[in-house]
Amino acid sequence: MSIEYRVSSFEEYRGGRREASKLKTQNSKLVRKKDIGSVLHQWSKDYTIFVPCNEGDTAFTVHGSRLTVYGLWDGSDINLDWYRNTVTPPKANFLPPLEEMFRFQKGKEGHSMELPFEPGVWSLESGVPLPQLIFGIRPCDARALSLLDLIFTDAYQDPYYLPRREGAVLVGLVCLNPYDSCFCTSLGIGPGESDDVDLLLTDIGDEFLIEEISDKGKRLMELTAGLKDATEDDTARANEAKEKAYGRVTRKINTEGIKDRLLSAFEDEHYWEKVAAKCIACGICTFLCPTCYCFDISDEMVKKQGARFRCWDSCAFALYTKMPMENPREEKWQRVRQKVCHKFEFYPMTFDVIACTGCGRCIRLCPVNWDITQTLRLLD
Amino acid sequence: MTASDIIEKHRFLAQSNVYLPHIMVIEKIIDETPSVRTFHFNFKDEKLRDEFTFESGQFGEYSVFGVGEAPFCISSSPTRRDHLEFALQRVGKVTNALHRLGVGAEIGFRGPYGNGFPLDLLQGKNLVFVGGGIGLAPLRSLIWNVLDNRDKYGDIQIIYGARSPADLCFKYDLDAWGDDKTVDVITTVDRQESRVQSPVSRVEAGNSRLQSQESRVGAGDSRLQTADSRLLREGFVPQILGQVAPSAQNAIAIVCGPPIMIRFTFPVLEKLGFTPEQMITTLEKRMKCGIGKCGRCNIGNIYVCRDGPVFSYAQIKGFISSEY
Repeated sequence: MSIEYRVSSFEEYRGGRREASKLKTQNSKLVRKKDIGSVLHQWSKDYTIFVPCNEGDTAFTVHGSRLTVYGLWDGSDINLDWYRNTVTPPKANFLPPLEEMFRFQKGKEGHSMELPFEPGVWSLESGVPLPQLIFGIRPCDARALSLLDLIFTDAYQDPYYLPRREGAVLVGLVCLNPYDSCFCTSLGIGPGESDDVDLLLTDIGDEFLIEEISDKGKRLMELTAGLKDATEDDTARANEAKEKAYGRVTRKINTEGIKDRLLSAFEDEHYWEKVAAKCIACGICTFLCPTCYCFDISDEMVKKQGARFRCWDSCAFALYTKMPMENPREEKWQRVRQKVCHKFEFYPMTFDVIACTGCGRCIRLCPVNWDITQTLRLLD
Repeated sequence: MTASDIIEKHRFLAQSNVYLPHIMVIEKIIDETPSVRTFHFNFKDEKLRDEFTFESGQFGEYSVFGVGEAPFCISSSPTRRDHLEFALQRVGKVTNALHRLGVGAEIGFRGPYGNGFPLDLLQGKNLVFVGGGIGLAPLRSLIWNVLDNRDKYGDIQIIYGARSPADLCFKYDLDAWGDDKTVDVITTVDRQESRVQSPVSRVEAGNSRLQSQESRVGAGDSRLQTADSRLLREGFVPQILGQVAPSAQNAIAIVCGPPIMIRFTFPVLEKLGFTPEQMITTLEKRMKCGIGKCGRCNIGNIYVCRDGPVFSYAQIKGFISSEY
């Protein structure tokens, strides 16, 4: 009865990826910021383009800023000087908050089912399905997608997530102005580097330096006109900017032996009750976490037609695990323990990688200022 | 990857879409207790009837279209293939909807999922089955599987309990196993009917063959004889297990029941000399996807749906006290 995983570790998974696309960072290009619109225009022939934007002119604000999401590019020039990171993580583009899985209807011959139009692929108005290009993704969020891949390729292939993911291109943007809630450098991720994107852009004033990270990114660059070759001076300026960005990530956690420390604290009810005390179990940290993937499956039916859909779910809710006779995680502290241990203990046990990217969303967007770094510091 | 590659990829995945259920037809319904029913069902597509294979202990996701999906084990044996069976208690939205269905109704089914019982490990061993309530359903699949290959296994002991005589499931199986001279069946109830009269069991009175014998022998006696001189004991399953005291020598215990019974059964088995590797259980958790994606059925880093539902006690004992 041994447990067999299709993917035995994150390193193995990424090793395969690296092998397939030997890193070629020396070949860098330059694009003027005001020309980004025309570059996106070229790419939009082959891709549906998503860019960071503020959702409408809504009065809804989160901690003083408007709700930032990845929205469909409307074809206009874009300026990302204001942009730090989105509120909704990019997982929403691959595992939508709500998605129709299939439709069914009851006829004279019994039940029949049909898939919705081309699930897994975003379609333009012309009806031609195109893969996604996500512009401006941060290194932490790109890593999060690689972590989600482990779950959705493991054992059974997810027929909705994977087609979206495999076609997609990620254009990363070096994170020069991280939030004070960010702690990515403690988790082996840096604001200035990424193996998980296809192209990586660095803001060097009036221009972006573009580095080719993967084969997919290289092919995309070959098809793109209007770019200059970067000089050594440009590369030096980019490196300087990246160095500074590392210094701006000041929050740290101690990840050494965290798996074992959490394992020995697993039965320490006092510790978990203490760290869970102020949590109000609203679930926002899990909805906005770029590596949380739990979902619920439900049916809706009107007359003789209906659909089965899936939507995000959260381990913060007691109903999540409720069974008729009992509930293994009835208490709030048990659910907080599940959330922390899933990322820092169970994921490392299974895939040998921590399922946290240090993006800091769960800290800066928590309504009661619950802080994962504080929780883990208590274990030191 | 170009757009046409993606369409191709999508077609491939749509054909083997793990979330698309097969349409099944209910062929027969058996009332086990007032709240438990067994459904005999079969694939609507006759080709799939022959292609479908499963192992004892595996489960499926059953759906009533428009209401939802829920996981239940396949309670029939893979050695008896003219139809499939599953049994369920009426407790929630989906199970209530299933109980309202009649013969000929269509349900959705996807599976089989999970690992099933390790038959190669059980061969040549003495088997002790410990079941409680509807927990007999997955054991029943294995018991019939074992009995259909009787010469491959050693002694077989079945200890099964329910809350009251009316709550005993699969009475026809208990009778059949009792008639089998190579099997030792011990049946127990938490309380005899005459002491605690629940409204449910009163309705059921007279339906149960075992219970109808009870008044003849008399209440108050903790060991009651049924007509065919089989014992119907009184006491919780772990207690009775301790009294019966099966030998751990070359034996494997297979335990399934409500979590509270499982929790109290393991220490008794340990006292009898069973090692954690000699105890096998099949667990139940809330599930949605059944394939290790939706996240809720974990015990530690183990997903009950994908890594289980069959586990040895050795695999789960680190987590079982607090999370199960």
